[in-house]
Formats: sequence, structure tokens, C-alpha cells
Amino acid sequence: MTTDHQEPTRQAIRAALARALPEHRDLDWSQSLTSEAGLDSVQIMNLVMEIEDELDLSVPVDVLAEVNTLDELAVRLSQLT
Amino acid sequence: MSLFDKFQPLAEAQASLGGQSPAAIATPIEAVLSPTRGIIDGREVLLAGTNNYLGLTYDPEVLAAASEALTSLGSGTTGSRMANGSYQTHRALEQELAAAFGWTSAMVFSTGYQANLGTLSALAGKGDYLLIDADSHASIYDGARLSHAETIRFRHNDPDNLDRRLQRLGENASRALVVVEGLYSMLGDRPPLEAFVEVKERHGAWLLVDEAHSFGVLGERGLGLTESAGLLDRVDFVLGTFSKSLAGIGGFCVSPHPQLQLMRLACRPYIFTASPSPATIAGTRAALRRVLHGQDLRAQLQRNFSRLYAAAAELGYRLGSDVPGPVAALLLDEREEALALWRGLLEAGVYANLMIPPATPSGLNLLRLSLSAAHSDQDVDRIIAALAELTVSA
Repeated sequence: MTTDHQEPTRQAIRAALARALPEHRDLDWSQSLTSEAGLDSVQIMNLVMEIEDELDLSVPVDVLAEVNTLDELAVRLSQLT
Repeated sequence: MSLFDKFQPLAEAQASLGGQSPAAIATPIEAVLSPTRGIIDGREVLLAGTNNYLGLTYDPEVLAAASEALTSLGSGTTGSRMANGSYQTHRALEQELAAAFGWTSAMVFSTGYQANLGTLSALAGKGDYLLIDADSHASIYDGARLSHAETIRFRHNDPDNLDRRLQRLGENASRALVVVEGLYSMLGDRPPLEAFVEVKERHGAWLLVDEAHSFGVLGERGLGLTESAGLLDRVDFVLGTFSKSLAGIGGFCVSPHPQLQLMRLACRPYIFTASPSPATIAGTRAALRRVLHGQDLRAQLQRNFSRLYAAAAELGYRLGSDVPGPVAALLLDEREEALALWRGLLEAGVYANLMIPPATPSGLNLLRLSLSAAHSDQDVDRIIAALAELTVSA
């Protein structure tokens, strides 16, 4: 479920996606990043580093292990901001 | 559903390397003849894919010391340092390591992997922070997982990126342990260590340098990048392994902080495992003496890797590091290309390492050559000739 307070996080993810993985900019946010979208761990790490710069926050490594989709990432990151 | 289903992607990756013999991953080495020669697939080959940087695995003093200890102290300790496996020789090696750095404290571990696992998990607990380079070795990632600290990655070799992460921690930076490596084993590159030291000091954080691949290789006395950069008085911990330049198996952590001794009481990968065998310890002590006076070996190693780097660049290969070092990683666009180069070199009698994701940073396909002080000029000529031949035929 998307809520207003997640919107800045979602914008940051969109911007980071366009920079780190331009070929995946139209990714379905409900897809599993690995099994469905086919991203590998390096691509996901690069994406997260871009998001960190965008939002000026540090994402702990274990947070990444908890999320499978961009929707889940948005929810989890909006709790950190 | 099976417990084994999760291994299917790995099985597919392995299958993509083809069924040809010998296998490109975990290649069987049928016999080792010297630091630079072995038998693979029934043929004698030049070993250019080991971590035997100083070539000490057959050093007469190392072998004599290990043999003597094997006979006099037995084949194993059968217990942990905390129980029945703490021999005088373990203590002696720790004192010698600490003295080499001019520091107060050293701890010896049974493997280099456990040195990282134990040190990171014991030092960084709940409420602490681990800031690790994104290209860190698996043992650093695993040490972070075993700790209860909050682990944050920073961009590879990027002190400004670390700076921003420490800035966000504010006062909590005093509870942050920063981890970098002296020489990254996949690409062969080095960190801008002085810049990292400056950042950690400004934020009051702590710094650990893993010198697994740089110990023995860099610095006047072979202590690693920390010594060669003149920063021995500005880092908090140095980690190392016995299984590369020291030609054995094991690992260590040294520190100028006397409180490191307390870590013995809390470090699970140190407490709950058997201590290194007497022969390992004796061989390592002999190798350490040779390393500290090994300027001749380092000069030969430097000559070897400088020649290889220059020749590879001239042949048009892309290298993983701008600064020549004992690891020469050739970057290939496609896995098939890397595999073909690996097989081509082996057919030419040169054993190197094929490195593919997920073991490599940034999803790179690498042909990793590593050099030794035991390689002669003619050996390096032979590696270069094989690379030239494969460039021509590509």
C-alpha cells in the first residue's frame, strides 16, 4: 500500500533506478528483484548506494536481506527516514 | 520442494563453464612440485594462480622448523586455545607478530577467515557500527553477519563516501569500526589509506586494515600497506593470514591497543575451534623471520609484477588495478572470453585463476594471474609469451 509519506522515498528510488539501472527504469515495483526482474546482488547493491546518496541516509546491510521488491524497499526505507 | 533447490542457480552457473576437463573452478592440482610448478591434467604447468607471493612454501628453514615441531610436539593440539590447545609456541608467535609491528597485542587464529570472523564479531557488538568497503572479502561480510552491529557499506575505495556515512552517525561514530583491505584480491587494487585514516580520525572512529594479500609484499619489512604508507601509528587493528606470504595456514590480529587481549574471552571463532597445529605455528614463525628480512624477495616480486603489468597493458589487456602489484586481474567482457583465455593459458602450460560472479566485484569476469618472488625472469617471459600468443589468436 502506498501512502503519502512514502512519496519522497519513492521519488528517490525512481531517480536512483534511472541512474544505476537505466535499462530497468520501467521495472514492476511488485516484482521480486532477483527471481522475477533478474537483478543480481551487485546490481541491487549499486541501486541501494544510489538511493542512499539520493536520500542522504545509510541503509544497513540486513535491511536489504528483508526486502524482495521495490514496494517493500520503499516501505522499509520510509521507516528509516 | 527440496533443501537443495536453492543451489540450482549455482549448478547452472557451474554448467555454463562447460564439462571440459580439467574444471575451471576448483581445478584439481594433481601434484605440487615447487612454489612455481605443479601437475594439472597430467602435465607439468607453471603456477601463476597461487597466493604464494614470496615463494616460501618450500623454504628450507620453514620446512625444517615445521618438520621438527611435527616430530617433537605432535600432529595436532586436539583442542582450543581456551582449553588444552594453548602452547608456548602459540604465545611466542603472538609476541613475535606484536613485536614486528611495535605494538602490544596479537592474537593468532586457526585460519585467516576466522581472524576476520572473530575480530569483527567480537569487536563490534549490539549498538556498534561496522562500516565496510563494498568490495570486501566474504570473511568480512560474514564477520559482520556474525556480529550484532549495524553494518553499512561504503563505495569501494571512496573515503568521501565513508565520510558521509560517518557524518550521519554523528557522535555514534566513536562506536564505528571501519574496515578496509590493504590489497583487494580480485582486482589487485589498493585503497587510498591515508585519506581513510584522515576520515576515521576526524570522526573519532576506529580503523581495521586487512593485510591478507599485502602482508609480506608491501613495506620495507613486509608488514603491508599500513607500513608502506607510513601509517603504523594511525591504525587500530591489522589483520593478516598465514596462508599467503607466510606459506602456512592461519590468521592473526595485531593492535597497539592492549585491551585486544580481552577479546580472547569473547571471540567465539577463537574460543570454539582447535588451535593451529604445532607444525603450522613453527613453519609460520620461520616464515615470519624470512618476511621481515625479505627485501630481496620483495625486490624480485616487484620486478616480476612490474614486467607482467607493463607487458599485459602493451598487449591491450585491461587490468583491474592502475598500480602494479602481485595480482594482475585481466578484465574480460564475457564469461566465455575469460574461460577461453583460462583454457588457452593452461594449454600453453600456465595455470591462472578464472574468477566469475558472484565471487567478483561489479559482476566482472576476470582472469587472475598472481606472481611470486620464486618466479624467475624466464617464468615471467613464458607467461607474457602465452598472453601474447592468445592475443594474436583471439
